[in-house]
Amino acid sequence: MTTFTLNGQQVTVDNPPDELLLLVIRDALGLKGTKYGCGAAMCGACTVHVNGEATFSCQLGVADVEGAEVTTIEGLSEDGTHPLQLAWIAEQVPQCGYCQSGQIMRAAALLDRNPNPSRNEIVEEMSANLCRCGTYQRIFKAVERAAQEV
Amino acid sequence: MTRTLNTTALNRRQLLQGVAGLTFVLGAGGVREVVASTQTDALDVNPWLTIRAHGGISIVFPSTEMGQSSYSTLPQILAEELDADWDDVEILQLNEDDRTFGNQLFGGVLYTAGSTAVQAYFEPMRQAGAQARAVLLQIAARAWGVSSSDLRTEPSVVVASDGRRMSYGELAGMGAEGVTVPDAGTVPLKASADFRIIGHDVPRRDVIAKSTGRAQYAIDVDLPDMLHASVARAPVEGEVPLSVDDSDARSVPGVVEIVTLPDGVAVVADSLWAALNARFSLDIQWSETAAARSFNSADTLNAYAAAAEDPQAEAAVWATKGDAQGAIAGADRQFGQLYLSDYAYHAQIEPMATVASVDADGMGAEVWAGTQTQSWTTRTVMDTLGTTQDRVRLNMMTMGGSFGRRTAFNQDYVRDAVLCSKAVGRPVKVTWSREDDVKNGTFRPAAAQRIDAGLTADGKLSGWHHKVATPTVIGFFNPGRWEAVRPNDVISMRGAESKFYGIEDFQADHIITEREARLAPYRGIGAAYTSFAAEAFMDELAEEAGRDPLDFRLDLVADNPRGRHLLERVAEMSGWSDRGDRALGLSFAGYSSSMAAGVAEIELDQDTGEIRVPRFWTAVDAGLIVSPDNALNQVEGGIVFGLSSALLERIEIENGEVLQSNFFDYEVARANHAPVMDVYFAEVDAPPTGIGEVGTPMVSGAIANAFHALTGKRLRHMPFTPDRVLAALQS
Repeated sequence: MTTFTLNGQQVTVDNPPDELLLLVIRDALGLKGTKYGCGAAMCGACTVHVNGEATFSCQLGVADVEGAEVTTIEGLSEDGTHPLQLAWIAEQVPQCGYCQSGQIMRAAALLDRNPNPSRNEIVEEMSANLCRCGTYQRIFKAVERAAQEV
Repeated sequence: MTRTLNTTALNRRQLLQGVAGLTFVLGAGGVREVVASTQTDALDVNPWLTIRAHGGISIVFPSTEMGQSSYSTLPQILAEELDADWDDVEILQLNEDDRTFGNQLFGGVLYTAGSTAVQAYFEPMRQAGAQARAVLLQIAARAWGVSSSDLRTEPSVVVASDGRRMSYGELAGMGAEGVTVPDAGTVPLKASADFRIIGHDVPRRDVIAKSTGRAQYAIDVDLPDMLHASVARAPVEGEVPLSVDDSDARSVPGVVEIVTLPDGVAVVADSLWAALNARFSLDIQWSETAAARSFNSADTLNAYAAAAEDPQAEAAVWATKGDAQGAIAGADRQFGQLYLSDYAYHAQIEPMATVASVDADGMGAEVWAGTQTQSWTTRTVMDTLGTTQDRVRLNMMTMGGSFGRRTAFNQDYVRDAVLCSKAVGRPVKVTWSREDDVKNGTFRPAAAQRIDAGLTADGKLSGWHHKVATPTVIGFFNPGRWEAVRPNDVISMRGAESKFYGIEDFQADHIITEREARLAPYRGIGAAYTSFAAEAFMDELAEEAGRDPLDFRLDLVADNPRGRHLLERVAEMSGWSDRGDRALGLSFAGYSSSMAAGVAEIELDQDTGEIRVPRFWTAVDAGLIVSPDNALNQVEGGIVFGLSSALLERIEIENGEVLQSNFFDYEVARANHAPVMDVYFAEVDAPPTGIGEVGTPMVSGAIANAFHALTGKRLRHMPFTPDRVLAALQS
């Protein structure tokens, strides 16, 4: 049994302790906004917050988050109005959209620790996450827009 | 000819299967639904839209969505001519192989590829909207006892000259007696100056869902009682499982069944985690006799290069005008050069995934999949079950990227889900791992290209002969199509026609080489490499002629003023004429009839051989731009895609096995590779020609040419990896 806090709610699951946190979130707990892309910490589609830090959920077994606070895209805001989500909509960032939950979660962790990042800091941070559609320029603009509003 | 109204009550499914004419669906309170249909030569009769009495307007989306946004753009075209309030519009995904909605640029097949959706559906969807608007005007005219010609529309409202107003929803509820449907083509379309939606920045419909984690992809579908499957696939194309020891796999908790597939072994379990674990406990003996065991990408490219350099190599003429070889031979000077490009992988971030729920009798199925074609997905399910089309229920899911990945005639990821579900009698989701997706990838083909040309004494081009040694892509991914079109393979050859230049004596040949990998269409298709060779060589010719690369190209666009404008514009944007020490490279390419001139600025780390592209400017002509902000997004993405292909991406094959496996050994462009991009769209009075791929083909040539501007050296083998860059520097 593993107990942790998911989007503010305590959850207990009996999945195998080494089962990927990503799969537990998606399949056992039914939150599909967090995506599988590579399973190798290379694409960032699975990015969630663990105790406030952007983390590849494909690199943790569920037992690794015992007692931790985990936040997914579904828990970033109650109604999808986090400043980054509004900025993503204002800048019309997504194309296929598959990577964007992970992009937003990584950007949110960045703004939490650095509310006014430079363009270079944004580029460096966001380079952990792939967007095959190539929406990077819009991602930068959206993070900058949100930073002005946080 | 006009048609009268049919007032038979019909359910939606019947309507979608193609009922002629304008249909009023009767409800308890009288007519409550209006379905207007187009009639065009190309599309026959299509029920594209429904206007409900409460005001909701449903518009059919006939393509599939993979990020290109035609999900929003196509319905916007119809809504424009209907003069609908976009907020009233609901979009209905077409979930069946109903050819009455077919893509006429693919012979009526439901196929989303080649940047064709807006091109193909622009006219029919405008006509459908205009017809429906004309009908609404007639209903209002009848109600008010006035002439239709005295009425006008505002968004979703008909307005009389005396100011009376009725909403489309009210009109749809008023009955249609005496109303006739005008033929498509007889209703005047809006003047572009009157557009409220086309050419305006109407937000995409899917952006909120995609910014909140709520967009549902095939990989996200969950059904009650659903099981998960992971498939161990043959390590080499053509091999089959000879025997399977699954005793260890069956002992993994959660495993339900082991299913032997034609070219793999599936573990079906109650979780993906269990399926993955058990899969690696399978002991499979594979056959070892497949011809593909001899595939080695290094040898393949050498063989293609030898073919390209062999004057006697048999070739199919792809495009010809005048006498290329005569003009070259008669020129003052002759030049030729060889260009190489490796296999490339789509790298869409959502790996293949399909959910299938096969009926109890094994002769029907409901399927949830993201693919670029309703037609071939339906066909795959029919072939797998040996059943008829009426037993296939599709759910076409939005895709996590595709770029050509999901276009094949036979879709193995769909087939496997159907076979697994049939075997266990429960719904099954097949999910490919990233490694599965790379190892079983279908690639942009490797290619070797030889271009020869002549120069006159005053430094002008005289004759151009472009030979492309690469296999047929169509012959692999859609063999039936190849029988119909051979030897013309647009997937392998697009771009080699260099049609944006007016070259008097021109020839492009396809040397159809042996296929030594699985192949598929890929963003930009042939132009992804033919335009690299053509534009890199154009720069080499300009240098040989002692002329500026821009001036040299301008000679060749005398008959293409729209193209000339793009070259001049991008030169202005990038400060080409006073570029000084900046390392700028120019390229002029495009896709289909869309054109783009681009300038790359590069930086080079002389020690590591790493090229960076801090700036990219482009001027694009894609005809009428229906959705400007999305067009900009697509071009930006296309440039990043082209940059990634030019600098990073290479698939290698040894003894039939793909060497790469994930994003750590198949790198694609990250945020820190992305240039600052300036994009200009020409405003032209011409039909739309497609936006999804036009940004890509120019990029590699522009980077190669910028490298020459910086170093005086040439890059002739794509991708320009650091080892190749260092080798070029030392040459």
